[in-house]
Amino acid sequence: MIITPKELNDQKKDLLIVDIRPSNQRNETPLNGINSIVCENGEVSNIKEKKVLVCQYGIVTEGLIIEDDLQNTFSLLGGAEAWNEFRKEQKDLSQWSRQTVLPEIGIEGQKKILNAKISIVGMGGLGCPASQSLLVAGIGSLHLIDNDTVSLSNLHRQPLFSPEDIDNKKVIVAKKKLSKLNPEVSIKISDTFLDEKNAYSLLSNSDVIIDATDNIKSRQLIDKISKELNIPMIYGGLYRFEGQVSVFNVDGSPGYSELFPDLPSAGDACADAGVLGALPGIIGNIQALETLKLIVGIEPILIGKILIYDGMNHTAKTIRL
Amino acid sequence: MIKVTIKCFSQVKYALGENELVLELENGSTSSNLEKIIRSKANGQLDDISLRIAINQHYESEDTELKDGDEVAFIPPVQGG
Repeated sequence: MIITPKELNDQKKDLLIVDIRPSNQRNETPLNGINSIVCENGEVSNIKEKKVLVCQYGIVTEGLIIEDDLQNTFSLLGGAEAWNEFRKEQKDLSQWSRQTVLPEIGIEGQKKILNAKISIVGMGGLGCPASQSLLVAGIGSLHLIDNDTVSLSNLHRQPLFSPEDIDNKKVIVAKKKLSKLNPEVSIKISDTFLDEKNAYSLLSNSDVIIDATDNIKSRQLIDKISKELNIPMIYGGLYRFEGQVSVFNVDGSPGYSELFPDLPSAGDACADAGVLGALPGIIGNIQALETLKLIVGIEPILIGKILIYDGMNHTAKTIRL
Repeated sequence: MIKVTIKCFSQVKYALGENELVLELENGSTSSNLEKIIRSKANGQLDDISLRIAINQHYESEDTELKDGDEVAFIPPVQGG
């Protein structure tokens, strides 16, 4: 059984808190504001009272309860790290305990994610998976920009939409569906296509812009605004079984215009060239991954590089720009 | 003569029907010489496609002399999203 820091705070008088961590962890991260007893792992099963086991990140205790079939026992989700953060900020981050346990993320990284403002231009094949992954990762606010409506031919690669959504505005449907995944995230929608007149005002309040569009002119416009405002752009593009991803314009790093100067010609878009439904999920999620890495400050990242993923042969090539 | 390996992506792969080609070129051949050869092999299918070139996983914006053993990738822009 799991108990979150917030739940424990509400009912701690009725529970025995058992800290099973080794002494070095207890000394480095003492449990704040709660009385606990210390117990080695092997002895925990002898304690018959209703209890909460605490380890550093809430993972060891979950395993212990299952392995030893412990009754009347809760595991504190997120462990001592999440508890102390809750005591300090009155904010329960235990929902993201499987992320915060990563040394590259930690509580501080999760806070950066929770404070980030992301704009996604295009709610099609790339925008759907990118928005879902960012939302559940804890992104603070999302701004979805698209003027398109859902059509039957979208459904095979845009899993936010269902047959009953056909002819409805994508951003309105997406907000409704995404809100259920994480009701606490602020989701702003702009029911418009990005153009020269509105781009600056739509994108200026972003920490990162995700390019999930399906045409080169929009990519160039996002690149231009991204450079002007010094807001990084996470580029993604698709062709049949292949996808491209790059992180553009981070403090002067190469952008789309350095990769493809002038007005390049690409031939067909998705609708004409075709795309296998699962591919946008992969590429959109790589865009979300790079966004999270950028926000937290994790390297290596696709700055100054373009990733070309081939879903037919499962090869990935990274080319330096 | 020099031997170079061509990595084909997106539209280039479909136009040539290959993921990878190995070509022998005259000594002193450049990336733009190779692009002409690739375009001619595509029988017009790449005529309206812009191509960017990477040599040994490094993007090259200038015409560059190729060396024996180089790996050359042609990167087209893709529209889909």
